[in-house]
Amino acid sequence: MRAYLSVFRMRNRMEMQYRGAVLGGILCQMFFGIVLVALYRALYAGRPQTMPIEHVTGYVWLQQAFFRMLLASDPDLLDKIRNGNISYDLCRPVDMYWFYYVRVMAQKLTGSLMRGIPMLVFAFLLPKGWGLSLPASVPGLLAGVLGLILGLMCVCALENITMAFTMRTLDPRGIQAMLNLLMMTFSGNILPLTLFPDSWQKLITLLPYAQLLDGPIRLYNGDYSIADAPRVLLVQAVWIVVLLFAGYALWNANRKRIIVQGG
Amino acid sequence: MSYIEVSGLRKNFTVKKKREKGKLFREKEIVEALKDVSFSVEKGELIGYIGPNGAGKSTTVKILSGILTPDGGSASVGGRIPWKERREHVRHIGVVFGQRSQLWWDVPILDSYSLLKDIYSISKSAYEDRLKELTEALQLEELLRTPLRLLSLGQRMRAELCGSLLHSPELLFLDEPTIGLDAVSKLALRDFLQRENKEHGTTIMLTTHDMEDIAALCSRVLVLGHGRKLFDGKLPELLARFDTTRTVSVRYDTEPELKLPEGVGLSRSGADFRLSYSPAEVPTAKLLELLQEAGTIREMTLQPENIDHLIAAMYKEMDL
Repeated sequence: MRAYLSVFRMRNRMEMQYRGAVLGGILCQMFFGIVLVALYRALYAGRPQTMPIEHVTGYVWLQQAFFRMLLASDPDLLDKIRNGNISYDLCRPVDMYWFYYVRVMAQKLTGSLMRGIPMLVFAFLLPKGWGLSLPASVPGLLAGVLGLILGLMCVCALENITMAFTMRTLDPRGIQAMLNLLMMTFSGNILPLTLFPDSWQKLITLLPYAQLLDGPIRLYNGDYSIADAPRVLLVQAVWIVVLLFAGYALWNANRKRIIVQGG
Repeated sequence: MSYIEVSGLRKNFTVKKKREKGKLFREKEIVEALKDVSFSVEKGELIGYIGPNGAGKSTTVKILSGILTPDGGSASVGGRIPWKERREHVRHIGVVFGQRSQLWWDVPILDSYSLLKDIYSISKSAYEDRLKELTEALQLEELLRTPLRLLSLGQRMRAELCGSLLHSPELLFLDEPTIGLDAVSKLALRDFLQRENKEHGTTIMLTTHDMEDIAALCSRVLVLGHGRKLFDGKLPELLARFDTTRTVSVRYDTEPELKLPEGVGLSRSGADFRLSYSPAEVPTAKLLELLQEAGTIREMTLQPENIDHLIAAMYKEMDL
């Protein structure tokens, strides 16, 4: 257990070293946030939707604030697979899957908190109809935070699956490009899932990508009522179990066929 | 039963080739990295494992450290089968891959060490004692708070070695640990390995192309080629089989008239002579007598064959 905590702490410390990247990330996400909000305001000015504009702008800001949780692979881990330094990790008395899982989690958690907190402050300060409003209710906020934690567990399991494929192809770019497209579309980062047609939403909200941020955001802004919360959280939990099992099985299969090339 | 037992070990790799024109599929080629390798190593031995590039040395090390699963044969280390009881096995071994790194790039090496402490569940006091011992021996005290990326190659190798020995492994695999090191670092590293072996009884298996390393450290060598074991024994025995020529360099005051017996190779420039001969054919005493009679010698050196040349000759004879 100590080993996993220790690698978690270590990865955190490393993430905190990259303060320039944090600043760059915040500026980039703010830019995207403002552009998207302006876009949806223009859309609403032409043709108002059933979903209130405050919900949409809040949704956009929460997505941008936690962007780092979605789209960030650990470059060091992918490098290790490419250059063979993974050999060392293969001869440690730890379970490789969890060892990498907590490492990915540390990166995503610390990385997104460091970017997310200043961005949320900024979004709260924006005028109504542009920024982020307070949560629908205190229980809604708590359910949202719990959902965010489950979402984090989900996205780390997804990341480990990407890594399992990287071990086979040795290059993460192909699989990443494909999975990132799915991730961006179905997590609600490009277009809030709340704006998809209702019939689509029934399916999309059940996909693993909707468990990452969409569910927690809707619990926060009251789109999902408190009565919905147990169901939403349960779907997340089911996906966590499924993705963990799938990833674990892939890693085990990799272990048996692994070849570290070169001398 | 010996500490390391390897018998009939086999490992194949599949290499996919570029698709040829007019063919639908790529051709696969099976490369037999290890064909049938058997040996045993006793506890506390310092053994050298040599062979030309691609002989299967690293493959053996990877199998014995639990990274690869072999395709046939058996191997056990301290009674454990590395790839089956991986987690228990790796607790007791240390590995240094000369071309790879286990320490974290962007953080001070001390932080990497404390992570290793937790990975191997080393107690605090044992860790502190061992760290002190290793940092002194490897002269790392001043580097502990430096991030890995700022270290030179030699410093990095010392830091890697320290990382691999923190948990006091019974068995240490070294895969080309002196690659790219300067003479001082190399000598220091050899000294250190010898002490580690003597004082802690650590079994060390050293893979290298540096024959000086082998000559200085290893009581026994294993030679591998084309996935087979070719020699297993003491280095002098191995060399004696191929060590057949000597070189004499002579410089005379004036250019002499020199008549040499059959079988002596000669290259000369003015009064400088370089003779290579085989003591078995031409006795050394007789050659020296001839040289002395030819003129006044100003300088003379007699050298044994260079160890790298010997190994090259050996690989050639073994058809590697």
